[in-house]
Amino acid sequence: MAKKPDLSVEFCGKTFLNPFLLSSSPVSNSALMVEKSFEAGWAGVAYKTVVADNAPIIHPSTSDRGLKPNMRDIAYLKKRWPKHVVIGSIMGFRNEEWAELAVACTDAGADMLELNFSCPHMTVEGSGAKVGQTDHLVEKFTTTVRKVTRLPLIAKMTPNLADMNEPAMAAKRGGADAISAINTVRGISEVGLEDFVPKPNVFGKGAISGYSGPAVKPIGLRFIAEMAKNKELNLPLSGIGGIQTWDMIEGLTDYMALHNVKRVKDLVGKALPHLCETGDFDLKRQGISSYDLDKCVGCGQCYVVCRDSGGQALEWNEKKRRPELNEDKCLSCMVCSFVCPVDGLITFKEMPADWKRRETVTLG
Amino acid sequence: MKSSDRFSRMEEKGFDLSQAVAEAGRCLLCHEPPCSKGCPAGTDPGAFIRKLRFRNITGAIRTVKKNNILGGACGVLCPTARLCEKECCATGIDRPIRIGKLQRFLIEHSWKIGFKPFDADASERPPRRKEKVAVVGAGPAGLSCAAELAANGFQVTVFEARPEPGGVLRYGVPGFRFQTEFLKKEIDDLLSLGVELKCSTPMTGDGAAEKLLQQGYRAVFLATGLWKPVRLKKDQRDLKGLFTSMEFLSALREGKAGELSKSIKGKVCAVIGGGSVAMDCARSAVRLGAADVYLLYRRSLAQMPAEEDERTETMNEGVHFLTLNQPLGFLADSKGKLKGVKLIRTTLGARDSSGRRKPVEVKGTGWSLPPVPSARSAYPSLKLERGGLIRAGEKDCRTSLRGGFAGGDIVRGPDLVVRAVRDGKTAARSIMSMLDQKAGA
Repeated sequence: MAKKPDLSVEFCGKTFLNPFLLSSSPVSNSALMVEKSFEAGWAGVAYKTVVADNAPIIHPSTSDRGLKPNMRDIAYLKKRWPKHVVIGSIMGFRNEEWAELAVACTDAGADMLELNFSCPHMTVEGSGAKVGQTDHLVEKFTTTVRKVTRLPLIAKMTPNLADMNEPAMAAKRGGADAISAINTVRGISEVGLEDFVPKPNVFGKGAISGYSGPAVKPIGLRFIAEMAKNKELNLPLSGIGGIQTWDMIEGLTDYMALHNVKRVKDLVGKALPHLCETGDFDLKRQGISSYDLDKCVGCGQCYVVCRDSGGQALEWNEKKRRPELNEDKCLSCMVCSFVCPVDGLITFKEMPADWKRRETVTLG
Repeated sequence: MKSSDRFSRMEEKGFDLSQAVAEAGRCLLCHEPPCSKGCPAGTDPGAFIRKLRFRNITGAIRTVKKNNILGGACGVLCPTARLCEKECCATGIDRPIRIGKLQRFLIEHSWKIGFKPFDADASERPPRRKEKVAVVGAGPAGLSCAAELAANGFQVTVFEARPEPGGVLRYGVPGFRFQTEFLKKEIDDLLSLGVELKCSTPMTGDGAAEKLLQQGYRAVFLATGLWKPVRLKKDQRDLKGLFTSMEFLSALREGKAGELSKSIKGKVCAVIGGGSVAMDCARSAVRLGAADVYLLYRRSLAQMPAEEDERTETMNEGVHFLTLNQPLGFLADSKGKLKGVKLIRTTLGARDSSGRRKPVEVKGTGWSLPPVPSARSAYPSLKLERGGLIRAGEKDCRTSLRGGFAGGDIVRGPDLVVRAVRDGKTAARSIMSMLDQKAGA
């Protein structure tokens, strides 16, 4: 049997057992929670953001406990799980607080610090995501922390802006060693239709707040890719947000074994060379959708979607309940393959260079 | 538990909202939905499941109710595996959408949230018509016809011979399959359309339909159902312990479970037939405490008209299926008390006109089963064409009487509730087109 793939990674000089960490969020609020995750196989944690005692904070934006108990938990985790990486996530409101928190986490034994420039729930100017949107504050607070600790510093970014490279560069100027992204996207998850209160409903009031889950993953990928392509930035990146598929350790191990990838490092940045501008596409090459009708269950969704939003290239055989493709009308938009409930029934087929598509019918 | 309690509540649980939404989420949203074509009553599951899936729950309820006034009853009782669900494209992925359960859910949900699908703006209602129409029989066909006519503004009176409306839904299906409270609510929905209902008002005898026409009803729809027992041989008619299925099931619905239990508890029972009604009888006999219940069927499992899940449930409840056995007659003592059933083994021969292989008696294999009370499934199909059925057009429900229409079991012989619902709708449209023509002339 081939050698088992190695899931360990190096990041900011530390070795991680695998590339999976709990993010600073409600799931990393105490050593009890974190310990359970370590038992399940997670390689480390960005411990739930701590703030100075008496800071004007809304749970679950940050830890619900005082600084001391949290520092005891971090010290406990490092002692009990020496091979696991514990990152102290901190968020101050003023320079002094940033320094105090950085020193506390360093003294507690944290391996690295994550500077939370991105909490979506802060209302005070100069705090949370408002820092991440203000380059000079990012730089100033990073510099402050840099002065009081030798631990690696990761700046955690908010996606609630147009270009993440600017604050990331500011963090680098302040002395950050890495960037993590993304924090949550500002949004309103739902409005109660009975009371018109945006959810979550806090005794009759709702607020724009941090939205997470699978919908934010494409947004996260975009920001990570933009920073990875920025040669000037050139910092290690920690990707966060919306990841929910795969039984991660088993899934990644099997994937690497199947694809003959020996180390996780070999996968980093693999998609970047293929990420282009749409203008770079080779529009001379053409194709059509191709149907394996032996697999068809006869739902007709392909017909409807092609008629209503595609090339109107399908006809519907009512008797057989099967689509019939007019190949020369197909736009190769592949929207039919997105709605088809059967895996692998509709695939893309490249057509020869001299193939000519018929234009969509014009009325009038 | 008192034996009567075992007949008062439906045993199969309905879906709740989360189950229904999850099930609707499996729907493939087919183009020209084949399930809709599979519904004899035109309930249009393709449309109501799509609405449910996109959380337009009230709209889904409205679709069911407008298309099928007995949508709830059909959701519970329809043999969906051979109608809508048989056509479902999701079967190609894994298994059909549970359409019957969704339909039942929508109707039960409408009661739960107090949604009244027929409460429309007055301006949306069709103009009130002055013509009166009489419907004879408050079973599925009659109720469906009445609803369709009332929704189109006609004045409808339903005459029902029995004390309660519902026909077979009330008196022919055991309560553990379809309970009275459910039916009552569904009939309340119907009455909200303005239908007048007169129970305990039999309209029978020669010329009853003509009399209604003379009284000013412009049309009469006859949907009395089939209640007369199958003609038994003269010497068997009064055997003690022998029931027709209708006598047996009606007695249960009339609250006589205790009384029936006395003659069935601890005894050996036999039920003749392999359809849905036979299953209902056998399962009822189990609930009444019979020591052993035999189901006598002259063909084999594959030819049984009852649905597979009904058959399985019946077998799981301990009913013994005696297939390939043809009942020949009954044994009785000198006091006229049933003592047994004479049987003969059969084999399956060539296919008959129903497409099923025909049972052929095996000579010299006669035997008898010594059961005491016996229920007999009401209408062995052989005798259907004769006796008491009304002839009416399949497409218009017209009878030989001018202004007279008929549908449901009294025309078809024993058949599905959902087909009776269709007959009611067909008759209503036929009546409307006749009255429109007259109004126009």
